[in-house]
Amino acid sequence: MLDLQALTKAVGDLNEQQVLAMLKEFVATNPGNEETVAVVNACQQGMAIVGELFDQKEYFVGDLIFAGELLSSAIDILKPVLGGESTVTVGKIVLGTVEGDLHDIGKNIFKNMAEAAGFEVIDLGIDVPAATFVEKVKEIKPEIVGMSGVLTLALDSMKKTVDELKTAGLRDGVKVIIGGNPVTEEACRVIGADAFTTNAAEGVKICQGWVK
Amino acid sequence: MARERTQLFRDVIDGNIPKRVPVCVSFSIEFAIQYAGKNLAEAQWDTGQLEEIFDQICRDFYSDLLPVNAFRFPSFYKLLGARNFVMSSNGFLQHPEVEGLLQEEYDDFIASPYNCIIEKILPRLYTELDTDAATRALALAKAFKAFHDEMGNAVMIYGRLNQKYGYADINLFAGFTEAPFDFVADQLRGFKGISTDIRRVPDKVEAAVDAATPLMIKAGLQPFASKYNATFIPLHMAPFMRTKDFERFYWPSFKKLVDALAEAGHPSYLFVEHDWMRYLDHLYELPAGTIMRFEYGDPKLVKEKLGDKHIISGFYPVALLKTGTRQQCIDKAKEIIDILAPGGRYIFDFDKVPITLDSLNVENARAVLDYVAANAGY
Repeated sequence: MLDLQALTKAVGDLNEQQVLAMLKEFVATNPGNEETVAVVNACQQGMAIVGELFDQKEYFVGDLIFAGELLSSAIDILKPVLGGESTVTVGKIVLGTVEGDLHDIGKNIFKNMAEAAGFEVIDLGIDVPAATFVEKVKEIKPEIVGMSGVLTLALDSMKKTVDELKTAGLRDGVKVIIGGNPVTEEACRVIGADAFTTNAAEGVKICQGWVK
Repeated sequence: MARERTQLFRDVIDGNIPKRVPVCVSFSIEFAIQYAGKNLAEAQWDTGQLEEIFDQICRDFYSDLLPVNAFRFPSFYKLLGARNFVMSSNGFLQHPEVEGLLQEEYDDFIASPYNCIIEKILPRLYTELDTDAATRALALAKAFKAFHDEMGNAVMIYGRLNQKYGYADINLFAGFTEAPFDFVADQLRGFKGISTDIRRVPDKVEAAVDAATPLMIKAGLQPFASKYNATFIPLHMAPFMRTKDFERFYWPSFKKLVDALAEAGHPSYLFVEHDWMRYLDHLYELPAGTIMRFEYGDPKLVKEKLGDKHIISGFYPVALLKTGTRQQCIDKAKEIIDILAPGGRYIFDFDKVPITLDSLNVENARAVLDYVAANAGY
């Protein structure tokens, strides 16, 4: 059996070669579902370490991006042995970069980390109009709406999106979190979001708090 | 007036104490268009309206240098089918994540960067160049015609505004280039690509950055050497890297670039984007008199570490102009000037270029600029 603690540590260290070698060896043993779920959890714990190291300024944004890549390679290797019931989601997030803004690096980091934490993320992409958010919230009925942006003009689009969610009678049914360079506590209040963050790992923690 | 203003900057660059702290702020073309009450998309395409638009900024906001400077117009990017500069639905031209070079093509780039750019990278970044030779030649000719028309028009407008408002006769944008690592990241591999490459193929990244360095030096050279005309280098990736990665992949070629430009007689004007506080000792090593505009950080620490060698600018938080009272905004200017002005080598500027009209309170911005112009004497 795979040494789960060693795996968690290798993910935390972003030691890709070691992680992939361990997982390949594990998959070759044709493991059962329960074991595989334990391995996925170990990877997720490794991602939590990555988030902590980011908070401690040991890792930076480039490392978070790489962590996302590492995790998706890891999941690809595990997919063949992952059974259906292992994909229990803790909640759904409708996510997008708001209208007028084409930046998606921060959004993608958050998406990777949220998925690693067990969320199902419906990613609407970039330059997403308020109406598309409204439509998707109606259709998917997520617990959480995540809006991202880098330019200061994104704040206006975030406000417009929240306003349209209100008009459509959907605002009370979801929690709204905003993220990206320009968001501040004041912007959060003006926009009418429930939370804001400039740190993807913290954003995921906030979302976890909401679905507990 | 122009002569007096020019002297302010010359004194700062020469290491003398000027009569007053020079003011150099700039507003984006989008801000200027909104301020003039024009349509964003229309005015960026129909650049015949630009002079009237820029004139209103010059008229209403104090600066000792021309406070507008647009050099990316949608016409030539559109003609090229650019994927690296794209306008969003509401009229803001942006740089999306692009991959001009595939990971497996590193060796081609390292062997011959120029050929690789022409043969592989340009057709990938500019869809209109991804075609047969004749059509590509025509597309390129059209785009260059548009480029020269737009830039010719813009430069003439800048000349007339310089004359009309008596701005200083120095140019901080006389040349433009990128740090070699930023070039490889921004145009060739993308943020995601480069962040994975420095772990998966580190030797190739290092070699590609070295291969790009002579091109970046060449791009940054100006036709004539003058210590009063700088080459602008906006810095990007360093704050997003670990220090040890920065020291291996970013710093050596960047230092080589700034050194080479200085040797050729061109000072560099750096936009030190995001948080560089980890790298102040590195920045100190750049040639004396490098002009550094900071977006973020502790002005005291920067003055203490860099103030006797380099010229410091930036730091004034645009966000405060939106949220603060008039008095708070002025007090902040006073606070920053008290830290950075002693001993000279300081140019007043905001931490970032305001890009939308509602990113600041216009009255606050004017009050701060007028305050600095009237009160920041030595």
